[in-house]
Amino acid sequence: MSGPDRIPPGAVPALELRGLGKRFHLRSGGILRRRVTELRAVADVDLVLPRGGILGLVGESGSGKSTTGLMALRLLEPSEGQILIEGTDVTALGHAALKPWRRRVQVVFQDSYSALDPMFTLAQVVAEPLRIHGIGDGASRHRAALDWLERVGLHRSYGSRYAHELSGGQRQRVAIARALILEPAVLIADEPTSALDVSVKAQIINLLQDLQAEMDLSILFISHDLSVVRSLCDRVAVMFSGRIVEEAPTEAIFTSARHPYTRALLDAIPVLDPRQRRRRTFRDRAEIARDVPVLRRGEVTGPVPEGAGPRLMPIGPDHRVAAVLEGEAA
Amino acid sequence: MKDTQAQPIVEIEDLRVTFPQAEGSVRAVRGVSLALHPGESLGVVGESGSGKSVSWMAVMRLLRAPPAEVEAGRLRLAGIEVMQARREELTELRGRAAAMIFQDPMTAFDPVFTIGHQIIETIRAHRATSKRAARAEALDLLERVEIRNAEAILDSYPHQLSGGMLQRAMIAMALSCRPQVLIADEPTTALDVTVQAQILQLIKDLQDEMGMGLVMITHDLGVVAETVDRVVVMYGGKVMEEAPVVELFEDPRHPYTRALMVSIPGQEGGRRRLTEIPGASPDPSDPPEGCPFHPRCTQADAQCAAEEPPMAVLGPGRRAACWRLT
Amino acid sequence: MTGYILRRLLSVMVTFFVVSVIIFLMMHSIPGGPFDGGDMPVPEAVRQKLNAQYGLDQPLYVQYGRYMWGVLQFDFGVPFQSPGETVLELLGRAWVPSLVLGGLGVLIGVPLGILLGMAAALKRNSWIDYLASTVATLGLTIPVFVTSMLLILVFSVWLGWLPSSGWGEPERWILPIAAYATIPMATYARYMRSAMLDTLNKPFVTVLRAKGLSERQIVFQHVMRNSSIPLVTVFLPMFIGTATGSIFVEAMFRVPGLGSYFVSSIRTRDYPLEMALMLMLTVMFCLAYLISDILYAWLNPRIRHGGKQE
Repeated sequence: MSGPDRIPPGAVPALELRGLGKRFHLRSGGILRRRVTELRAVADVDLVLPRGGILGLVGESGSGKSTTGLMALRLLEPSEGQILIEGTDVTALGHAALKPWRRRVQVVFQDSYSALDPMFTLAQVVAEPLRIHGIGDGASRHRAALDWLERVGLHRSYGSRYAHELSGGQRQRVAIARALILEPAVLIADEPTSALDVSVKAQIINLLQDLQAEMDLSILFISHDLSVVRSLCDRVAVMFSGRIVEEAPTEAIFTSARHPYTRALLDAIPVLDPRQRRRRTFRDRAEIARDVPVLRRGEVTGPVPEGAGPRLMPIGPDHRVAAVLEGEAA
Repeated sequence: MKDTQAQPIVEIEDLRVTFPQAEGSVRAVRGVSLALHPGESLGVVGESGSGKSVSWMAVMRLLRAPPAEVEAGRLRLAGIEVMQARREELTELRGRAAAMIFQDPMTAFDPVFTIGHQIIETIRAHRATSKRAARAEALDLLERVEIRNAEAILDSYPHQLSGGMLQRAMIAMALSCRPQVLIADEPTTALDVTVQAQILQLIKDLQDEMGMGLVMITHDLGVVAETVDRVVVMYGGKVMEEAPVVELFEDPRHPYTRALMVSIPGQEGGRRRLTEIPGASPDPSDPPEGCPFHPRCTQADAQCAAEEPPMAVLGPGRRAACWRLT
Repeated sequence: MTGYILRRLLSVMVTFFVVSVIIFLMMHSIPGGPFDGGDMPVPEAVRQKLNAQYGLDQPLYVQYGRYMWGVLQFDFGVPFQSPGETVLELLGRAWVPSLVLGGLGVLIGVPLGILLGMAAALKRNSWIDYLASTVATLGLTIPVFVTSMLLILVFSVWLGWLPSSGWGEPERWILPIAAYATIPMATYARYMRSAMLDTLNKPFVTVLRAKGLSERQIVFQHVMRNSSIPLVTVFLPMFIGTATGSIFVEAMFRVPGLGSYFVSSIRTRDYPLEMALMLMLTVMFCLAYLISDILYAWLNPRIRHGGKQE
């Protein structure tokens, strides 16, 4: 039995993805001209989420960021690569062997309304993970659920209410309580603030920051919103067409982004100062995809990875960008 | 292009919209007054439940009545008395006097007809033209919203196109009868970030080019900062503050506007706690007494809880409803 | 689209084969045969001779093989209850009343139902809406033989306006057709109402209003077309409902149609006629499936032109 409880804390990352990829097969055409096209939704994703870190995974629809999140949760089987939770490879574990590891990685989605069972009271909703994992008895689970409701900023009396009685922000609080009641090492948050009103968004971002600090939690924060990411994350990985194209500490992304797609994302953030309005020009995705950054040897700060074509190269402290070297074909 | 001396193109006075319900009526709009001048762009900012969309649905007479109960001291658009408009005037009002584009382009088109069919029918609903001439116009319009393979898009069904492409097609359709006012209801919320910026730029360009009035309904202060001349901030079915856009961002006067501005994430570098607005938006079926924002306002006192603050004029084009104005 | 239809036709043929085997086996697994007992016991020797004459003493697969070989050449054998003609001739005769009854029933019931459902959806919570809901509920819950009985009671017995049974003169058609039409009418009234309400609540309808289309244009060009897509899928269950209902209607009104023969063939263990009727029903169901699928695909561009472009 090598359960997650045996792993000593230390330099081992909370979550690590190694060469993770997902291929889908699409069928089209008639009986005679059937074609099977392979779609690489995610390819070669290497990510390290250190203990206590908040890593932003940024991209637009179809970038593969949510697919990556689902694979990290093992809710979707990867086609290739490995998932390591606290240093243990869980990629191939079967249902029973995986169960103790499922406790260590929990998730909050954008649409918490459909994720909360409308027939359950909120106390039951929050206590459910404890029940599933057979922790405690009914009374202790109920107490723990009320404690958690309080911890996410809802009064204990909410325990006897139902999901439909809540506002969007309150529902997201409940979803967070349910995810954290098992005291996981990793929280995967997939666009948890995207459906929320402006004034409530800040509340949820603050709540996540507070809980992260209190619990030494590691968060993989999946979002399309770079502004939210800037206030919340230590590091950012940018995904484009299924691959990571740039990864760096958050401020480095904002001050010295190197990849054209990262720049396009930054450029799309509205400027909150009407005096600085400017006419913008845009490049389409195909154009961005063709514009692979070319690095001089001197710009690469570490070992150049092997292989041909665009690959993640180190260009600064903790900063990697998908690029080719001068003289190579893109 | 704006002409503030001229007669306003849209006049709204004391607009009220109620949805009667078994347990307490939902009072979505509670006395909104505003005006839009020809060629001017107005941002209407608010969170969900602020009444921002419902007000403009009422202006277009798009609320089904019943259930909606719409009252207004005055509601005029391009010379049409909206509340009294009969069938021909309604056709004139919708599409020709004012056109509207909506949040989710994926559900805005009838799935069983091509994009071309839907643009052509719009043109032909307002003008007697042949199908062929209308098709040529539709093609022009699609090119104008920077769609490259316009001919192919014309013959596509909605499900075959991306959200960004559909939003461009919806804008083309809205512009097909050269409206005097374009009402854009969260036109970029459902789109990808990079596409959002492109659509905003497109709307701005077209507004300049065609000299039409623009109403930009949004929850996003960033969108307002990028696109409009003047801003109305709504909360709990009421107008909280109105100001020219630069003044609003440099010197917000209403506590709600100020709180909203500081709570926007990503304004400064570094991981940090944000200044949040405590609590939640008011329940529209049971709005608080007095100022709708007082339960969440850090400056509120007994007066704010008891009496509704009057709208105070603070300068040219500036007004706010608050007891604590300094 | 052609490939799609071909594929569907192939599956119809497979279905036909499977169903024919099942029906054949089921019929022969029911204890007893056509020459056993009944009102007039047949002497054992005669019974064996008859069984041999009709091939009933052969192993089942031989019987099935022979039978299907005949079927492929449109030879369904000779009905036991009327040996003077072939099954095909009998069916050819019995078809006509059933076709008139069923065809007119659907032809009258479906448009009436659609109109009722439309009116109900457009004038929600008005008297017409309540009328439509009542008609739909009654039509779907009251068994068709009760409806038939009520019609006979009111129009034949009390009012004496119309004959209660038989076929022939067109006035004899009115009551059975009325009874028969209740099922398609009720089904379509119900589905049309909910399909229309569903479509009217779609965001694109607001867009159509916002661009200045008249309410008439919106309803007749857009809402109708969208609402008819789910209606096509209802066609099949309704078809099954009316087809089974026809047995009762024909029995109640003594219409000499397929339904009456269906009942009598089961009562008298008339294998050839029973088999022929069952196979015919199977073909009709399969065709109904096929037609409703093709219509659905034709109405819905998502199926007609799949996939994204750009």
